[in-house]
Order: sequence, then structure tokens, then C-alpha cells
Amino acid sequence: MINELVIGHADARLVAQAVLDAAGANRKPIAVAVVDNRGDIVYFTRQDGASAVDIRNAERKAYTAAFIGRDSSLWRQQITHDGRTVADWSDLNVTTIHGGWTLRRQSQVIGGIGVTGTGDEDSDEQLALKGAEAAAQISVDEWRTKRDPRPIRAR
Amino acid sequence: MFQRESIGTEEAEKARDAILEALTDTDNPIALVIADDRGLPVLLYREDGAPARMLRRARAKAYTSANLGVNTVDFRDSEIKAKHRTLSDWGDPMITSLQGGIAIRNNGAVVGGIAMSGNTTIRDEALAQIGLDAMGLEK
Repeated sequence: MINELVIGHADARLVAQAVLDAAGANRKPIAVAVVDNRGDIVYFTRQDGASAVDIRNAERKAYTAAFIGRDSSLWRQQITHDGRTVADWSDLNVTTIHGGWTLRRQSQVIGGIGVTGTGDEDSDEQLALKGAEAAAQISVDEWRTKRDPRPIRAR
Repeated sequence: MFQRESIGTEEAEKARDAILEALTDTDNPIALVIADDRGLPVLLYREDGAPARMLRRARAKAYTSANLGVNTVDFRDSEIKAKHRTLSDWGDPMITSLQGGIAIRNNGAVVGGIAMSGNTTIRDEALAQIGLDAMGLEK
């Protein structure tokens, strides 16, 4: 039997909220998608005014990060280096537009986050990173509650 | 020129909170979709243990309600069953006749769609109605 770690709805909401908090009010409206390790949506939200393209691409970025297991900007570098194109994957949902980050815990992919809407893919990526950092912090906090408090030599 | 009205994040979050509040221990994990007047998602929410297909199904329900301006159960009874039409007649793969999608109206105009999956279709619809009521719109 195998066990997969998967991001849950509670963590997904915290991750999305971290992005919205970082975005603030004085920017273009954004869309934020958090998906599980298979690329299926767990939580999606958008600010008023986010366009239809923003909605679709936020989901595609998150999907790519989780399904491929690479942050979307890193993946672009990788397939460009390998001389491949996105079309090689025969999957309309994958994209190399920056702004998708893979979420991991215990070295496993547990999901992905995608952000679109700032009008610039690198700004999207920086905002999505805030969500990925929040997810990492949740992971660290959880580890702290479970770790053996004794010094290593005393275990 | 004309203006179209649509629900925004504020209404969607009110509905989300009211529905989560109304859930009981006997309810299954839910998937919730709140869509704008074009059927595009404003808020998607899938609880731990709810399969991804539930959210896909709920997205289709909310899309149908918002685009056709009907509750999906009425669409099924008055169009599909009564007139012997098929879903293919609409030429849109997102159109569904599954019960549980409710059109969101404000002063008579369709401003969005809301749909749930996870429980019985009757319970799904009842929970969606709780969310709709919490938006505080004028029917």
C-alpha cells in the first residue's frame, strides 16, 4: 500500500490568504488557485475584476506545478534546455507561464499554487511565492509539534 | 452601452461562510462552487475527502445556472424531460441537467450561479440555498 500526503482545505485557504494579504489593495485584481497533488482544485478565489484569462491561467499554473512537480518558471528553463515544447505533453492544462509553485512536504508533492493577474508573470511569481512560503511555514510548524523534544543523543 | 451586474468576492465569501456554518456532522465532505454571471468561478472550495469529480460536477451545475438563468432541476424538468431535448442540443459541454445548481438573481437579473456536491442532491440544493440567502440580494 502507498500513502500520499495531500494538501487539505484548511491549509489551502491559509495559503491563498497569504497571497491576497501580500497583494494588498492597490494592485490589479488577481486570481489564486490552490490544487492538490493531482492538480485538482482545493481552493480558488479571485479579487473583483480579475479577468477570465486570469481565472484560467491561475488554475493552469497551479496544475502544472503540482502535476509536473516543477515550479512553472523552472519548468520553462528545463524544457527549453531539453529542446521540448509545452505541446509535447499533450495536455492543454500545462503551461510555462511564471507564477506556479510546487508545494511539498516531507519531500513529497502535496499540491501547487498558481497566481495570475498582476499583468507581469514575474510579479505573479513573486506573489505566488508568498503562498508557497506560507505552505512551507505550515509544514515547519507541524514538524515542530511532532518532533521528539529530547536532544538527539538522549533518544 | 449597457451594464451587466455580477456577484463579487464579497457575496461569495458571505455564502461560503454561511454554508460552512450550516454543515453538520452527518454531512459528507462538500465541494462548493460560486460563479459569476458568465459562469466563471469566483470561489471554489473542496473539503478534505471530497473527490475532484464532485467539484467538476458542481462547476458544471453553477455554470449552467448562471448561463441559462435557471435552477438545474427546473432545466431538467422543463427542457430535457418535457421537450425531449438532449444536453447536446446546447452545444456546450459544461451544460448539465444534474440537480443542485441555483441561479443567483438580484432585482430580477441573473448575477451568478451557486452549486454544491457531496451529499444527496436535495441536501446539496438546500445548502446552496442557505448560501444564496446569506448573500443578501434582492430577488
